[in-house]
Amino acid sequence: MTETLHIIIAGGGEVGLGAARVLDDRGHNVTIIEPDPSRADYLSDAYVGTVIEGDAARPSVLAQANLERSDVVAALTDDEASNFAVCMAAQRMATVRTVLRTSAPPGEEYDAFVDGTVFPEAFGARAAANEITGAGVRAIEEIGGELGLEIVEVEVTEAAPAAGRSLQEVSFPRGSLIIADAAGGRIGGPDTVLEPGVRYLVAMEADVADEIMNLLRG
Amino acid sequence: MSQAGERAPVASLGLLDATMVGVGAMIGAGIFVLTGLAAETAGSAAIIAFALNGGVTAFTALSYAELAAAIPRNGGGYAYVREAFPPLVSFVMGWTRWFTYMVAGALYALGFSSNFVEFVHLYGVTVPFGETFPELYALAVIALFVALNALSTEASGGAETLITLVKIAILLVFVGFGLPQANPGEFSPTFPNGAVSVLPAMGLTFIAFQGYDLIATVTEEVENPQKNIPRAIMLSLGVTVVIYLLVVFVAIGVLGAGPLAAAGETAIASAAEAFMPALPIVGTGAGLIAFGAVFSTVSALNAVVIGSSRVAFAMGRERQLPGPLGRLHHRFGTPFVAVLASAVVMLVAVLVVPIRIVGNLASLFSLLGFVVVNLAAIELRREQPDLRRPFEIPYYPVPPILGIALNLLLGLFIDPVTWALAVGWLVVGGAVYVALQRRKGEPAAPAPEVGVGVEPDVDPERDVPARPDD
Repeated sequence: MTETLHIIIAGGGEVGLGAARVLDDRGHNVTIIEPDPSRADYLSDAYVGTVIEGDAARPSVLAQANLERSDVVAALTDDEASNFAVCMAAQRMATVRTVLRTSAPPGEEYDAFVDGTVFPEAFGARAAANEITGAGVRAIEEIGGELGLEIVEVEVTEAAPAAGRSLQEVSFPRGSLIIADAAGGRIGGPDTVLEPGVRYLVAMEADVADEIMNLLRG
Repeated sequence: MSQAGERAPVASLGLLDATMVGVGAMIGAGIFVLTGLAAETAGSAAIIAFALNGGVTAFTALSYAELAAAIPRNGGGYAYVREAFPPLVSFVMGWTRWFTYMVAGALYALGFSSNFVEFVHLYGVTVPFGETFPELYALAVIALFVALNALSTEASGGAETLITLVKIAILLVFVGFGLPQANPGEFSPTFPNGAVSVLPAMGLTFIAFQGYDLIATVTEEVENPQKNIPRAIMLSLGVTVVIYLLVVFVAIGVLGAGPLAAAGETAIASAAEAFMPALPIVGTGAGLIAFGAVFSTVSALNAVVIGSSRVAFAMGRERQLPGPLGRLHHRFGTPFVAVLASAVVMLVAVLVVPIRIVGNLASLFSLLGFVVVNLAAIELRREQPDLRRPFEIPYYPVPPILGIALNLLLGLFIDPVTWALAVGWLVVGGAVYVALQRRKGEPAAPAPEVGVGVEPDVDPERDVPARPDD
């Protein structure tokens, strides 16, 4: 367990509350700033962090969150401009890491100003694509980078070339790794057999994705 | 009640369970161990000491309720003070809370050994060294519970509730049999040692009223916490005070203050001997009460072993104590180092400190800790006016101010030897704090803001322990 972080989250919407829950579960201390009184009530009931009722973009409200004793300020409201204002104000008031939620793909424009950006809609889009295409292939995480590394969950079909064979029999391309079956049964090894109808977690580089899909889906 | 980083606690305690956590920590050890000592100090006015303590502690309970409902942190008073004050103050708070729990552990262990010897004696068994060296059993029981808590996470809140209900039932049996035989005449003269003697008796027994603090240390496990925690805090205090008053009334009414005082930490069991009839299965009725005393001191000891290790663990995670205290053991999943460190202090306290001073020490630190908690409630109202407070202290700021004043007043009536030991522990704490600051490579910058009076005293000693760490 690393040191407990003191984290201020501006905006207690679903993104803010969801982040607060995860952080609280990991043992960090969270303070949420939320302007809407009834939402603030709801956040209090959730009991994952201290709740300050007010607009985080106002310095007098932000100051109440004990900035100088905090490690991170995450501005997670759905208004990009006020998120930016919160991050800038926080940096003036104390030495803290800042995380900014954007409402459009952020590019690099914020790199000089904040320590991290989040664009939740990207995750939403991926989840939507997963649901639309059905259960066969689900994107779990895009690592990105120059190789376009991605982790996907793939269900092996009956007709797939690799179905029923062990990993040492099938020659998977370089740049791919069968991590485990999706139930988390066990980590893949040479004697792991790819059962048809079972879903596997696969890490793959973008340029071998096609080949992997061919082997597993037919 | 597992506080453990990624092993996130689950909200599993209802209002009854949460109330019982508080009642369980208060009822039992305090009343069994301290009633006799209080009677020795204040005579039959001991009952007034218990009643007034209930009133005094209620003010602080309101502050706890407000803070616990607003700040979802396990760790109790330490966590709230950490929110309100600079690091040095929260360090002092954590340091004294830690010590309170450890000293309370020593107190309960000593109470256990006396009552255990008494218990087996009632059945005609004489245990070796029981009369000459009762500390032996105190040491053994500490070792046992420390081992249990070091090797596995403790019993669930549900088991705690059952244990507490058993304790309450035993005390109610005591009250039920004793009430008809209690003689109100035993209460005159009310103040055999003068009215002022009530104050030191209050100071001595104050530790018996601090268990609701434990509810605040498990807040994240309580269902619907914003309503249930304030309720559980006030309810547990109310239930406890009523039971205390009944038990003390019966004990003094039956036995009289003098013989009660002579019985010391086995006072309640001795009172039971005077009137309890033989019961089926357990045999002698007094045996049931003695069993209750043994049982209560054991469960209270377990609670404070958990409490003390948890405070040390929280401080370790915040880097206010050396890092290893804030780590879970890789195999046992327990705050192993924190448990062992707490055990060492308990064992030393059992061996070298007389029981009366152990009681006084625990009460003094508990009083001082409560002063800081009340200050935290006031400070947070000033610093964070927009903080959501689902429970608000009624008639603010009267209760916290009264809490501070009365806690300090009681502290003044605790004897100088206790104060000297307390200051000694603070000096050790100052040394640890400074050493840790230096190792972090940060100047102890926030320190001069507060505790200006304490710092210079610390200076000569602090270099000595600091060096090995540098």
